[in-house]
Amino acid sequence: MSAQSHPGRQRTTWLIFIGLCLFTFVNLMPLLWAVLTSLKDPRDAFTIPPTLIFEPTLKYHIEVWTENDFVFYLMNSLIVSAGTVFISVPAGSLAAYAISRIPRRSAGPILSALFTIRMFPHMLLAIPFFVMGTFLDMIDTYPLLILALVAINQPFTIWLMHGFFLEIPRDLDEAAAIDGCSNWQAFRIVILPLAKPGMTVAALFSLLLSYNEFLFALVLTGTDTKTLPVAIAAFGGEDISSWSLSAAGAIGIMLPIVVVMLLLQRHLVRGLTAGAVKG
Amino acid sequence: MAPLTIQQATKSFGGLQVLHGIDIDMNDGEFVVLVGPSGCGKSTLLRLIAGLEDITTGEIRIDGKGVSRLHPKDRDIAMVFQSYALYPHMTVAENMGFSLRMRGESAEVQRRKVEDAANILDLGPLLDRYPRQLSGGQRQRVAMGRAIVRDPKVFLFDEPLSNLDAKLRVQMRSEIRSLHKALKTTIVYVTHDQIEAMTMADKIVVMRGGHVEQIGSPMTLYDAPANVFVAGFIGSPAMNLLTGRIGADGRSFELAGGGTIRFDAPLGAAAGREVILGIRPEDVTLAEDGSPATIKLIEPTGADLHVNLDVSGTEVTAVFHERLSIEEGQAVALAVPAERVHLFDPETEARIAGD
Ligand SMILES: Nc1ncnc2c1ncn2[C@@H]1O[C@H](COP(=O)(O)OP(=O)(O)OP(=O)(O)O)[C@@H](O)[C@H]1O
Ligand SMILES: [Mg+2]
Repeated sequence: MSAQSHPGRQRTTWLIFIGLCLFTFVNLMPLLWAVLTSLKDPRDAFTIPPTLIFEPTLKYHIEVWTENDFVFYLMNSLIVSAGTVFISVPAGSLAAYAISRIPRRSAGPILSALFTIRMFPHMLLAIPFFVMGTFLDMIDTYPLLILALVAINQPFTIWLMHGFFLEIPRDLDEAAAIDGCSNWQAFRIVILPLAKPGMTVAALFSLLLSYNEFLFALVLTGTDTKTLPVAIAAFGGEDISSWSLSAAGAIGIMLPIVVVMLLLQRHLVRGLTAGAVKG
Repeated sequence: MAPLTIQQATKSFGGLQVLHGIDIDMNDGEFVVLVGPSGCGKSTLLRLIAGLEDITTGEIRIDGKGVSRLHPKDRDIAMVFQSYALYPHMTVAENMGFSLRMRGESAEVQRRKVEDAANILDLGPLLDRYPRQLSGGQRQRVAMGRAIVRDPKVFLFDEPLSNLDAKLRVQMRSEIRSLHKALKTTIVYVTHDQIEAMTMADKIVVMRGGHVEQIGSPMTLYDAPANVFVAGFIGSPAMNLLTGRIGADGRSFELAGGGTIRFDAPLGAAAGREVILGIRPEDVTLAEDGSPATIKLIEPTGADLHVNLDVSGTEVTAVFHERLSIEEGQAVALAVPAERVHLFDPETEARIAGD
């Protein structure tokens, strides 16, 4: 079944390839625009039609990283994201494993309940969290924001991991029990390593969610713990000259995620396609 | 190596009772096969022994010790799953050595025992491979290897051969048998294949609908099935089970559908009594002075000749080992030695004693 040997099929492959390239290009347009804008002087940034020939400047990128406390906010974001991932994924995996191993008729309602939580508008949750945070005197602390993000993130993590655990046959748990494992050992030594691709995906989703989250971060943080999305929002807006700076900030906020993606790419593709093909 | 006793074991899933008071005594080193139609509770019983399901009532003893409330890891049993259930992220050697590792054996002991087992099962060259790199037959062997390295008190097998092709199945059958001869460990083996049961077992337990129908050696079940169900289940092709009554002379059988089969001796039940008469296909012979029949269908299997005979409208299957020059539609005469005939009560379906 070699695609090369078949001219008709080869042409189709090329058409699909070109189509996908166009699609990718269209999708990347805003990003490209942001990159260009961040390299332009504000005066060039808003000429119509847009110029592609201009004198690039790294001025705004340098300004982002050296002034405006960008690095401070980035650290806040990273602390909050890491905290969320490191609570959400292990706790979610444990819950998902348990749900995947109980009878279906008990698991169904739990999953539906989680789904309902997921559907609940976050806006409506932000206020109670704020009230609770005030009551506990935890506004503008990392733990509060991390707990809030874990809470809204958990249903999705559990759903996702549940799917992965369902694909691991129960026979393996049972074989492990017979081979001398307690339930916990069976989970840790046999099941968990097999769920790794799933956990990578879950970690990534929860990282993206917590890193990009705006609403809760806005409501629950203050000067000490403000995260990047909230801080960046304040970068632009007032006058045209700050648009280049905003764009540079947007690029800056993306960079850590791009790096993580590149590092995890291999696991990610495996995780997203796991189960598609019988191993 | 240990005797295994099951006393009054019952199992219910919610309101559904699937085992109704099972009693089985297995001797030390015995090869016991649980056999029965699909859904009769064989796997459930095996899983009760393993501790993978909780027993509802009753007791299971291994080596005299009650194990019903113990976690599987504390029962000292090994199990070979139908799916093999090999750990995909471990090599063959790691799979086989896993129970030793959990038991805290030294790396040296693990290596030695795994190698010993690998030698017995011809797995030496595969020790560093992962399960996904093995064929079905090789995986099956690894699953057995994982069980034997432990030297457990009891081996449990749940239809271990059902995923193999016919040829490999026959080969593994005799391999498991000789493995048992060498290890002398008590084995409980589940299958729905009565040929597997007949060829491998020291003792067969025939189950139906969560009840034990009969326990005995393969030849006992073959020669003296306790009831109609066992009679029909053991043996291939299945036993002919004919309804009718004993003739007035006590040595003939009047078929319910009309016609009579005559025998060379009294049948061992009162004249005129309604019975179910069982005749094994291989006990049927053609004889000049036999009862009249017509040949309806001939199926040569190569070794044998399977023949469907019509006795006044009732179908009787016969198996002949010799090559006969007969053809379909031909009128013949069949004979069955009276001592090879099985009689069952039509009400209770139980064997009628005294024959
Ligand atoms: N976890 C369970 N919950 C509810 N019912 C069950 C469960 N496991 C088994 N059963 C029921 O118990 C009965 C016996 O099942 P079991 O798996 O022991 O049959 P089996 O003899 O092994 O059949 P097969 O030859 O098809 O494997 C079946 O009616 C089955 O539906
Ligand atoms: Mg079964």
